[in-house]
Amino acid sequence: MIAYVCKYTPIEMLTSMGAELVRVEPEVTNFNEADALMHPNVCSYAKAVLEDMAAKDYEGIVLTTCCDSIRRLYDTLKSRYPDKFVYLLDVPRVVNDYSTGLYAERILALAKAYADFRNMTGNIDDKVFKELGNTIKVEQDSLKKTGNSGSRAQPDEKAIQTHAPQVRVGILGARCPQSLLEILDEHGVRVAFNMTCTGMERASSLWDRMPELPETTEQGSENATGSSQSDLMKYYASALLGQIPCMRMVNAVNRERYLEGFESELDGVIYHTVKFCDSYAYEYTKLHKEGKVRMLKLETDLTKQCEGQIRTRVEAFIEALEAEKRVNMGKAEQMRNASNTEQLQRPDGNHMSNRIHDKQADKDILVMGVDSGSTSTNAVILNGKREIIASATVRTGAKTSESSQKVLEETLNDAGRKLGRKITREDITVITSTGYGRVSIPYADRNVTEISCHARGALYFNPKVRTILDIGGQDSKAIRLKDDGTVADFVMNDKCAAGTGRFLEAMARTLEVDIKDLGTISLESKEEIEISSMCTVFAESEVISLIAQNKEKADIARGVHKAIAGKAYALMERVGLSPEYMMTGGVARNKGVVKALNERLGADIYICDTPDIVGAVGAALYALGID
Amino acid sequence: MNAAKLYGNLIWREQKKDPAKAGRMISAGLHLYAWSIRHFPHKGMPKAYQYLNDQGLENVAKGLDDPGKLAWTNIFAPVEILECFGLTCVSMECLSSYLSGFYIEDRILDKAESEGIASTLCSYHRGFIGAVDKGILPLPEFAVTTSMVCDANINTFRYMEEMHGVKSHVIDIPHDYSPEAEHYVVEQLRDLIRELEEKTGRKLDMEELKNRLRSENRAKAHLISFMKKRRTHAYPQTMTLVLFQLFASHLNIGTEWSEKVFEMMDKEVESYPDTDEKKIMWLHVEPYAQPTLQSYFNYGDKISISCDDFDLDYIEPLDAEHPLEALARKMICNIYNGDYSRKTDAVADYIREFRPDGVIQFCSWGCKQSAGGVGLMKEKMRDLGVPMLILDGDAIDRRNCPDGQIKTRLEAFLELLNSSDEKSSSRDPNVAAADHAEAEVHE
Repeated sequence: MIAYVCKYTPIEMLTSMGAELVRVEPEVTNFNEADALMHPNVCSYAKAVLEDMAAKDYEGIVLTTCCDSIRRLYDTLKSRYPDKFVYLLDVPRVVNDYSTGLYAERILALAKAYADFRNMTGNIDDKVFKELGNTIKVEQDSLKKTGNSGSRAQPDEKAIQTHAPQVRVGILGARCPQSLLEILDEHGVRVAFNMTCTGMERASSLWDRMPELPETTEQGSENATGSSQSDLMKYYASALLGQIPCMRMVNAVNRERYLEGFESELDGVIYHTVKFCDSYAYEYTKLHKEGKVRMLKLETDLTKQCEGQIRTRVEAFIEALEAEKRVNMGKAEQMRNASNTEQLQRPDGNHMSNRIHDKQADKDILVMGVDSGSTSTNAVILNGKREIIASATVRTGAKTSESSQKVLEETLNDAGRKLGRKITREDITVITSTGYGRVSIPYADRNVTEISCHARGALYFNPKVRTILDIGGQDSKAIRLKDDGTVADFVMNDKCAAGTGRFLEAMARTLEVDIKDLGTISLESKEEIEISSMCTVFAESEVISLIAQNKEKADIARGVHKAIAGKAYALMERVGLSPEYMMTGGVARNKGVVKALNERLGADIYICDTPDIVGAVGAALYALGID
Repeated sequence: MNAAKLYGNLIWREQKKDPAKAGRMISAGLHLYAWSIRHFPHKGMPKAYQYLNDQGLENVAKGLDDPGKLAWTNIFAPVEILECFGLTCVSMECLSSYLSGFYIEDRILDKAESEGIASTLCSYHRGFIGAVDKGILPLPEFAVTTSMVCDANINTFRYMEEMHGVKSHVIDIPHDYSPEAEHYVVEQLRDLIRELEEKTGRKLDMEELKNRLRSENRAKAHLISFMKKRRTHAYPQTMTLVLFQLFASHLNIGTEWSEKVFEMMDKEVESYPDTDEKKIMWLHVEPYAQPTLQSYFNYGDKISISCDDFDLDYIEPLDAEHPLEALARKMICNIYNGDYSRKTDAVADYIREFRPDGVIQFCSWGCKQSAGGVGLMKEKMRDLGVPMLILDGDAIDRRNCPDGQIKTRLEAFLELLNSSDEKSSSRDPNVAAADHAEAEVHE
């Protein structure tokens, strides 16, 4: 098996020589080998391919000069596996007659090198050209028959029993992780196209825009004359280079025109980028600025551990697109769809959504929202009039199931005290969970992402809010709302804990200050101190050296808060600053952060009395079926 | 607060009201800095470096003052051709560096990132994008880049064309040399010339281009001679001035002043005594603003950079009689282009030639071509028995260059070089190396 990574690879040529080609779709959990042999700051896909090579027994790999990381991957693999067929094919970035001829020659050189490696007779056998010509003809005929126009990937129609408005998305950017496609499939989302590295359907991607293979070339290949072979190779090189250009190509201008054909049938675009593969972020930036299409930017390092992050973001995006569709359908339609969407299966098998709406008029109805975050788990009980009846907060601790049970009990007890009667789980009509641990709450009827819940919860406290900043224990997010209350855009921080509650905790520990007092202390600051590093580890060592310089705790704390405010501001700027502003999450209780943020924003940010339960309130509102 | 930082804050404050005025302040700041060095140079600064500093700064300021004659380039662009059309070549790497010099790199980097540009993108490119998007850099008439070495070039220049209407010309450089590859590049250079002729209304004077290439050959010969003399002679330096050498070896190569700089250095170095400081071959860019590196390399007497790979990325004499072919070959055969073994072999040759005591490779944030090969470079140095230190950091962003780590590593490396010296009194003259020794590698 020969591995390959790039759509410009002459797969058909190598297959005609008897090689079995396999696209590398690495599933890795670490980059130990790659970090040691290359460097951590290299594209995660390139590193994952290196790990894959170490794990699997490929005969070799054909790489292209697609980017710097892959070029260095080639150098490393060549040195590491001298006995394998490790080949770097130089793909021109300019497409014209001369470069097409050059590419045809390079493909032939690759074929010869492979023939040598396999101890074939040296020159490429005439049969290979005939086989290549046949393959092209067969693929073109098949394309004609199926009428598969366009390089649009046609997803298999999967009968997913969902009554939600069907969302249609396109996928752009760098190599798409399999888990993303699986999540979309799971939610019945239709993928209109997948324009990532090797995401296009090969045959249509190559032959759709090509004229038919000239008859003379085919006959020539049978006759095996030198000039007809050369024509065949030029035709083939032209088809390879004629694919929709990736960002490495000079002529990759206006790739987004491809989107234009989908305007009427596309709800949004998922723009996937890979850590340390920076080429696609340019296109994302341009599309984002143009603002013609709803986009979710998803950056991953392609490890299995990313799946949780992908899920939260993608599900929130789907929720937002669905909500938007409902709004567009009109209020009546919206209510009907909303009730249909509630796939609430209680253990007893009853369909909860109907019960909810049956009891809507009943003022005794109780619902619950549980927000299971990395640091704390919050729960809220609302009645049918949307009044907060009870709430509780517990530390999440090591086991989500334990903390979720504890928060359930405490909230029920609190409700019991407030209502003057015993409240049990059975009295709660619907429970919706949210937060990182939302799928691990055994008693929840459904789960909704924290993005949607924070949006809804924020509007509950202040209907004028349009931009929300939520800083939790391990992540921070900015959410921009439309006037109709649906989510217009959101961004989340990456895996790094910079600028989150964890970061503050680490700094408070270093300063030997209780986390609760850190904000107040910083208000007494008199000297400006800058904490330049936002990496938790490096910032900690910066703080240590400031302590060594005998700097005041108040000044250092203020420096820390300013650093967080800077990071948070950048996050808010990415979704677009639209007043009024609100901050949610536990960090909103820190007066120092809020002050620094107000200064940075040049506006007052709204904080409600209970900023840490906003997500849980949003979840409870979802449980009420209120959009 | 130092003057540059204070001035940077003023630039940024102005940017909010009038970005174009902030741009003029940048240019004025460069003129002012050049003037101050001209009249009040550091007492240890060699004359050649004073001249380099002056010309390098004034050239960039000139470009910013007259955007009609300004061409944005990258560091590998064939500036010799652009110079024949009277264009002032300013590389985007250099612009980012200067803005970092004014201590506003954090704000331009954050700007680009907030728009969606990848935070892992090379800081030179990211800073440049942030600055242009903020409107503090004047837009030129023309931009030229190559596809070689750095894969961000095509994308950054395309972004500038799409978002700011700066017409960009990209020259695609093949990975390996062949006569066909050379022809491919030559044809692209002809296209570039046609475009420039149309744009400027001026015909290319081929004789002028040939003369520039001859001057370039003389400049490189002086540079190599200088580096040979640096085997023993001291030559006071700063990280910034070593980085500035790229003005003469790349961005303004082929000009009279570039030749003069290297000629002066070649002569002036003889006037400095022999020194027992540790001499380093520096690989990749120098993070000139890094405090620990500044404290050791800026006019220090313990360690200095005697040669570097960037200045030596192509040292073969150019065939001035066939200038386009020579320039095509120069780009294709650059040691940064092609397989990485080309680079490791070249560095090995330079070590034999210039005999440094050790090698430091700086892996600047976002530069995948450099960082990705560091394992192979380390292996090569190990085979040669040359001590090598790998430093991770950021050439632009002060926030991303942890001082504590760099300090520990550099000092340990120095100790290692000194202890190797003590151990091996008789050194192989061909390989300036100590015992098999290996410095600490990145985390």
